[in-house]
Amino acid sequence: MPETEAKPEAPDRKEILEFLSEHKTKMKLFLKVCAHCGLCAESCFIYTTRGCKPEYMPSHKMINSIGKLYKKKGKVSWETFEEIKEIVWKRCVLCTRCYCPLGIDIPEMIALARSICRSQNVLPDFDEE
Amino acid sequence: MVKGKRKPLKQIQDSIKDYNKVLTVGCGGCVSICLAGGQKEVIALNTELNVTFKLEKIETRLDAYTVERQCNMNFLAELDKVVEKYDCLMSMACGAGVQLLAERFHQKPVIPAINTMAIGIDRGVGLYEERCRACGECVIGFTGGICPVTRCAKGLFNGPCGGVNNGQCEANKDAPCAWVDIYNRLKEQNRLDSILKFQETMLWQNQTQRTIIQEPYEKRYYEKS
Repeated sequence: MPETEAKPEAPDRKEILEFLSEHKTKMKLFLKVCAHCGLCAESCFIYTTRGCKPEYMPSHKMINSIGKLYKKKGKVSWETFEEIKEIVWKRCVLCTRCYCPLGIDIPEMIALARSICRSQNVLPDFDEE
Repeated sequence: MVKGKRKPLKQIQDSIKDYNKVLTVGCGGCVSICLAGGQKEVIALNTELNVTFKLEKIETRLDAYTVERQCNMNFLAELDKVVEKYDCLMSMACGAGVQLLAERFHQKPVIPAINTMAIGIDRGVGLYEERCRACGECVIGFTGGICPVTRCAKGLFNGPCGGVNNGQCEANKDAPCAWVDIYNRLKEQNRLDSILKFQETMLWQNQTQRTIIQEPYEKRYYEKS
């Protein structure tokens, strides 16, 4: 969606579903096998340097971004997208260093959530004062 | 972080006008942060190019796609199905990203749309200053946290040249001499003795491409090669 176009009333669910169905197998598996063991947290420098708050845990970030889009089958509001934007850009730098003993590729899932945000023209504000 | 700046529009236009379908590929990493090659800049560039091409009746079609990072192969995989439709890729990543994109899609011409300028710091929105040239021989521990390679026009390692005038650089009269700043900083810290030690000159010539392996991983990669 070009930036110059007016913002639609709601996000384009069809487009979101296209992204979700393309990665469904992996996404479903990753969300299912996450055992909430918290081991990924220790490998995340953002989590360790920001007071070890749960919202900075890689698994938490995955579940509340791509997990939310998957669970709601792409039917989400702009407000939800703003929350996801905050998670995937402000709480994660995609350093790809998070470690999961079960082999979940958390960065891939965060990157997928970012791609879906990009498809809806929900972008990080690097030019804000 | 790496800082980039978009090439002049005319230059970009000339480099892609002979292709029918061009995909402009943005990067969500450093160049997004310095407002040179992120998704917003990709859209802006395509809009500008479309207008100029239309005026000149050139039939180049431009599409846009932004990946999270062009300097990591994992993030380029999502382009595999997309690039088939295009006969040219235009990258808005830094030099490293452009080269990895060209490596993955070696059958397609890859054209850079931005110039990689520096490793720098943020002074304000859209305002950056160069601070590092990635020389691989960091000496700022001796020079009070001021890099003589970047800040000194001549990259001098052992004090200022004869061109310093009232604390200003002879190459650029608006720029303070790096070595005057180094002296003042060290004097403030009572560490002037640290620049009395002679620093060997750097071997700038015949440099080969560097590969960086962090110490804990040396065993893994050296055993492989």
